[in-house]
Amino acid sequence: MVSGALRALRGYAFTVAGIAIGVAGIVALGAMAERIVAFIEGGDRFVLGQISVAGRGMGMGAGFTAGGLLPAATIEAIRKVDGVDGVQAQVMLPLNPSTSQFLTLTQELVVGMDVAVPMPNRHYPTLPVRDGRFIRAGDRRRVVVGAAFAASHGLTVGSPLVLEGERYEVVGVLDRMMTAPDRFIIVPIADARDQWVAKDRLLRTLLASGAAALRAEDLNTGAAVGWRPGADPDTVALRIREQVPGVNVQIPSELSALLRSSTAFFSALLVGIGALAFVIGGLSLANTVAAAVFERIRDFGVKRALGASDWQLGREVLAEALAVTITGGVLGVALAIVLGFSVDRWVQRAGQELFLFSPRLLGGAVVFSLALGTAAATYAGLRIVRLSPAEAIRRGNAA
Amino acid sequence: MPPEPALRARALVKRFAAPSGPPIEVLRGIDLEVRPGEMVCIEGPSGSGKSTLLNVLGLLEDPDGGEVWFGDQPVSRLSRSAKSRERGRWLGFVFQAFLLLPSLTALDNVLLAARYVGRAGADARRRAEALLERLGVAHRRDHYPAQLSGGEQQRVAFCRAILNDPPLLLADEPTGNLDEDNGAVILAGLRDRARAGGAVVVVSHRPEAARAATAVFTLADGALTLRRSA
Repeated sequence: MVSGALRALRGYAFTVAGIAIGVAGIVALGAMAERIVAFIEGGDRFVLGQISVAGRGMGMGAGFTAGGLLPAATIEAIRKVDGVDGVQAQVMLPLNPSTSQFLTLTQELVVGMDVAVPMPNRHYPTLPVRDGRFIRAGDRRRVVVGAAFAASHGLTVGSPLVLEGERYEVVGVLDRMMTAPDRFIIVPIADARDQWVAKDRLLRTLLASGAAALRAEDLNTGAAVGWRPGADPDTVALRIREQVPGVNVQIPSELSALLRSSTAFFSALLVGIGALAFVIGGLSLANTVAAAVFERIRDFGVKRALGASDWQLGREVLAEALAVTITGGVLGVALAIVLGFSVDRWVQRAGQELFLFSPRLLGGAVVFSLALGTAAATYAGLRIVRLSPAEAIRRGNAA
Repeated sequence: MPPEPALRARALVKRFAAPSGPPIEVLRGIDLEVRPGEMVCIEGPSGSGKSTLLNVLGLLEDPDGGEVWFGDQPVSRLSRSAKSRERGRWLGFVFQAFLLLPSLTALDNVLLAARYVGRAGADARRRAEALLERLGVAHRRDHYPAQLSGGEQQRVAFCRAILNDPPLLLADEPTGNLDEDNGAVILAGLRDRARAGGAVVVVSHRPEAARAATAVFTLADGALTLRRSA
């Protein structure tokens, strides 16, 4: 059977190669689009899984909880709001405050978590750990790093990491999540507070002056808030905004819309690139398949002369075209994957990952190839079937 | 009483569009009858329409006028699929350019003739192997056309043409691309078909073909003229 299939494909090497290159192009561009979509959707999923609250005003905080200080009393007040089901104090700081915070989507963040409280995020009750373990209550100077951060800094479980002059040990590396946590450095909240003080001269001066009655647990840049089952998160968020003074509350749906509008340009760009890839790749594929069928026009003329009916000939044209398309399509997908992994292996040293070969992309590419191959073969087959055998042989001889 | 003709053509007309001016009439009312056991040779200058006549007789091309019969059945105006069916039942073709499928071995090329008439199977395979043996190319059965000489290719093509034991064999310059020895093998094969009761029409320039034929016609200016009859 295999030898039969191989024999049927004899003479189609260039056609298969042409289809493979076209499909590889579609898949590679699609995989880049999927990568960015995963990033955007992952972020969206995260922000929709919790209500993010920060202190009103400005501070050093970054990420979802950018804003002023969120003291422990305020966190306690949030916890008492009807519908709230868990509040986790957090400290989010830029790893390197001297770089621009403009491109926050690719920012490396230090995230301090109060792990004594379960993560209230509905969609991420835990973060997936690939190697090692997550930080535990009572841990100090231990970090769990995101996959991209680990790759770009060459970190594995047991590696040392110096933050603000203090030596930390990497106890875990997160699984690749294709979104913001890939660049997180997650530390116990007490350590994050130390780093905050070390980074922020104003805060240091304030604490030293004794002008503000601040305790360690007051040093929070924000909090992740969960809601009770059945409660509407937007309603709960609005309630917090109304009932708790001095807070900035992100309404989940508004934050999601904001995230989507801020990435709208990328989304539009991706749609354009994807459409272009499909049109160019699709046309190339259809043209290659049709040309391959027309190239065999003499053979089909001979078959007609030997008594092949329209149905028999059409079936053979379609079967050959599908065999060629499937072979080219599968090779194209394989080529794109090899190419993508090779490029990713190289760029991972910089903490990047450019391709995401999702099942829907790979399945879609094969189905798309098959559909176009079938359409092109049907078109070419109908044209050939309508020719007289003599004309088909003549054209084949002239080609 | 002579047998009924295996092939009849009446008033065949075929025209081709010219780049300018009126269409060119290649066949102008051709009449022809070929009975079982006869081998008819058609000669004529290049471009006189010999191949066109053979194409029309073999239902590879539609006539613009006239009719062709296989046995007592008119076949020129059948549907495309019906014509294919009749070709499979009645005809074997031998082409000057052999027209073997390059992706198939010699044996599979021969077996192709059985595929479309529902005869593919062990019997067809045995018969194909026997024919290849008879024509002296059995040792090439698993070779592809590109690995065969011209003479070998035409022998394989001849096996394909007679695999289904068709009542009618049409050969268009079957020795045109062959040396003398290979040409002689093919002509002998055609003559043997006729002697075995088949009807054979061969277009050829070779004097040997005319000598082997039971009747020789000349096609010139769209008209067919009997030159010699046995």
